Amino acid sequence: MRYIFLILAVFSLSFAKVAIIHVEGMTCPLCTMAIKKSLKQIDGVSKAKVRLNTKKATVYFDDKVDKKQLLNAIKRAGYKGKIESIK
Amino acid sequence: MERRGFLVGSMVLGAMAIVPSEMFAVENRRRFKVIADFDIKYDEKDFPAKLWFPLPYDSDYQKVRSLKFSGNYDDSNINSDNKEDAKILFASWKKSDKKKTLHVEMEIETTYRSVNLKYIKKASSKNLPIPASVKKFLEPSSHIPTDGKIKEIADKLTKGMTDRFQKVQAIYNWVTKTTFRDPKVIGCGVGNAGKMVESGYFGGKCTDISSLFVALTRAAGIPCRDVFGIRLGLSHFSKALGKADKNGFANISTWQHCRAEYYIPGIGWVPTDPADITKLELVEKLNYNDKKTKELRAKYINSWEMNWVGFNWGRDFVLSPKPEQFPINMLGYPYGEVDGDVLNYYSPRAFAYKITSQEIK
Repeated sequence: MRYIFLILAVFSLSFAKVAIIHVEGMTCPLCTMAIKKSLKQIDGVSKAKVRLNTKKATVYFDDKVDKKQLLNAIKRAGYKGKIESIK
Repeated sequence: MERRGFLVGSMVLGAMAIVPSEMFAVENRRRFKVIADFDIKYDEKDFPAKLWFPLPYDSDYQKVRSLKFSGNYDDSNINSDNKEDAKILFASWKKSDKKKTLHVEMEIETTYRSVNLKYIKKASSKNLPIPASVKKFLEPSSHIPTDGKIKEIADKLTKGMTDRFQKVQAIYNWVTKTTFRDPKVIGCGVGNAGKMVESGYFGGKCTDISSLFVALTRAAGIPCRDVFGIRLGLSHFSKALGKADKNGFANISTWQHCRAEYYIPGIGWVPTDPADITKLELVEKLNYNDKKTKELRAKYINSWEMNWVGFNWGRDFVLSPKPEQFPINMLGYPYGEVDGDVLNYYSPRAFAYKITSQEIK
């Protein structure tokens, strides 16, 4: 059962889009969690990683999510995002 | 590194033979047994964890008399391997579904810390050079800018002054009058002095207010630093500044408190606590010019009541071993990570940790 979940997770991530977003305004490690939490509330975002040192968020999402939703989620958390790339 | 600076400062004082016994007031020796318990929580069953717990530094006014720790961690060490020489107990757990626990016990002895004003003024009037070992406390960091509006305010407040202590007094008076304690701020506040002056909103908590004082004092050319620590028990001045039950026991999990120190050559580091003036005003519903506020203002420009213990003065630095999130803004709270996710150090319940203190009579 565990392996099935793992395979499904890898499968879904391999077909996900990946956005790299530059985030302004983070001042402490907890800021990364506020942004991650906000991004993960979007239906269709499967994974989000936010790093304080690079000021970047890496977001894995599916076709029903558009980039505006990602930037709005970052804004709701109190920060400003700028899309660097989407693949 | 800094402890070496302190020793150098002490040696300079010794060499100058200006260390009369009354220069450093010694009274109110107190002892506390501090216990910290961790049972790390995360929203998955199987998870790894890393924990960095700040430990007190040793000085003439605070000493860790004993320290022991135990738990089911896979690895642990005590290190000061960071640019700020902050002492840390590190523990880590491999990915598993087992509980992740750490128990720390410390016996801490403190002594009321006060530097005689007469000697501060005398040393300050000599305008001695700043030792190389403390020059780094003149430098800006991302949260402590010393240019722009900070510099403008510092210049305005200290215009025409050449004496360092006079400048400190002017900045201290302005900070304690201008800032106020905003109870809505989470934890001790972020301590972003640049943002505070840019926004013009001077409400905050201890890290915010101390950082503003530090930034302005550095901008005026005087070495200065935040000192992060935790309150341990009853204050003899006001319950606003520390309390305990009738047996001297207190749950201090959320009692982290940031103070400040400035450096006067010929004397060394001088303690101050501008933020507690604003806390006293809020909790006791006092005004700036009320008698009790005036009394604390006079006291806290050159002293600390030691119902508190200091951990470090680190700002914007990288812990060891290196966490996934860095730099850390300050280390007054336990810091924990699970796979790059930061545990909420402002919430002892969510993290989870509990820190208690028992005063030993």
